[in-house]
Amino acid sequence: MSPDQMSAQKIAAELLEMPPASAISLQMSVDNYLDVIRGVLDLFANKREMDTIYVTATISSDAIKRVLEALDIDTSRIYFVDCISHIMMGGTAAQQDDHTTLVESPTMLENLMLKVEYLIRRSQSKDKLVVIDSINSLAIHNNNWILSEFLHILVSGLRSREAFTVILSVEEHSTADINNMVSLVCDHGIRAGKEG
Amino acid sequence: MPPKTGERDRCATGLEGLDTILYGGIPRSNTILLTGSCGTGKTSLALEFLIHGAQRGENSLFVSVTENSEKLLTNIIPYKFFDRSLIKSGRLVFVDLPVMYERLGMTKAELSMEEIELLVAGIRDLAEELGTKRLVIDSITSVCYKLKTSEKIRDFILKLGKSLSDLNCTTILVGEVPADSTSYSSFGVEEAIADGIILMANMERRGDLLRTLQVIKMRGTMHSRAKYVLDLTPMGVLLVPLLKGGSTV
Repeated sequence: MSPDQMSAQKIAAELLEMPPASAISLQMSVDNYLDVIRGVLDLFANKREMDTIYVTATISSDAIKRVLEALDIDTSRIYFVDCISHIMMGGTAAQQDDHTTLVESPTMLENLMLKVEYLIRRSQSKDKLVVIDSINSLAIHNNNWILSEFLHILVSGLRSREAFTVILSVEEHSTADINNMVSLVCDHGIRAGKEG
Repeated sequence: MPPKTGERDRCATGLEGLDTILYGGIPRSNTILLTGSCGTGKTSLALEFLIHGAQRGENSLFVSVTENSEKLLTNIIPYKFFDRSLIKSGRLVFVDLPVMYERLGMTKAELSMEEIELLVAGIRDLAEELGTKRLVIDSITSVCYKLKTSEKIRDFILKLGKSLSDLNCTTILVGEVPADSTSYSSFGVEEAIADGIILMANMERRGDLLRTLQVIKMRGTMHSRAKYVLDLTPMGVLLVPLLKGGSTV
């Protein structure tokens, strides 16, 4: 971590100040992904005993599970909606299980919403967190119109269910359009990247 | 919640998204055509409608025409809310229409007008005896194949709808149409007679196949006419709006 990057503790501290049903934009650098993961999933969600629904469109859920294991983060309350493994079609593709739901393609945004909705309903946890990792990866597969519409409907729905939403973006890959799209639906922004 | 003055009493389907689309549910005692091509989730939705009804204490009857009800129950989605005691207690009853045909002596390929009367009376009597408040016929298209002519189909659906409506029973007729059909029913008659039409379809968008639902008409209530994407889950049918930015039409 470079000195100007935000630590996992600081990220968690900012998130802990947010009221329920908040939507937070978390802009990170490619270099501090691990701090972000630790801050959001371990020091924030696990500490508050929240169920987390982790939507992954960047790397497979299997790969993230390995990262979490390496970081010694408890994954028992983390449920993955994996939008990328199915289209990879390879041996590294994740298996669907109680903690992992596959969406055929990151272009099937409605199905992504439906899987999140299903997991929200199934969760017995009082507080819930939904993490979108990342808006930049979803933007590779979808145009801004549909992505903007998706974010609006998803975040509004999650707010009505009192769930926290954290939308991850990578500053090196972000554009003004993507930043505007995210800030439109979020109440608060955390800059955890190099420029943070 | 009791209906406001002048407002039709609702039969809440229990499917949260659909009840929102229908502003509270199907107007009670209406006959609805639930139509679509194969694999769109019609049977699952109809079954869920009955299960929720039975859970609310409304006796529910599933009349299976194409599939043996034992097999149907084997293939049922493992709903988290489904309790088989609903069947044991008689709140949820499954009847195979071919068995009924046999008992009524309807062995010919085509039913006569008299036999149609007899069939309507048979279903009505059964619904009355069971105190049925929700009924599904899956599928009406298969029944129509035994009626052959538009006149007979019209006569059958009109009489059946009226009889069940008089019993204050809300009915879903499951219809089958080919995937490329522009009509809402196979014989063109069912859609005109039904009080409501719910269309389920497979929609292709950039190579992705989405299951969709759209309420085309529903007498006695306002309703959304937008298209929704659905998923069949152990928590039941879930719906979200179709994202317009990606619509092909």
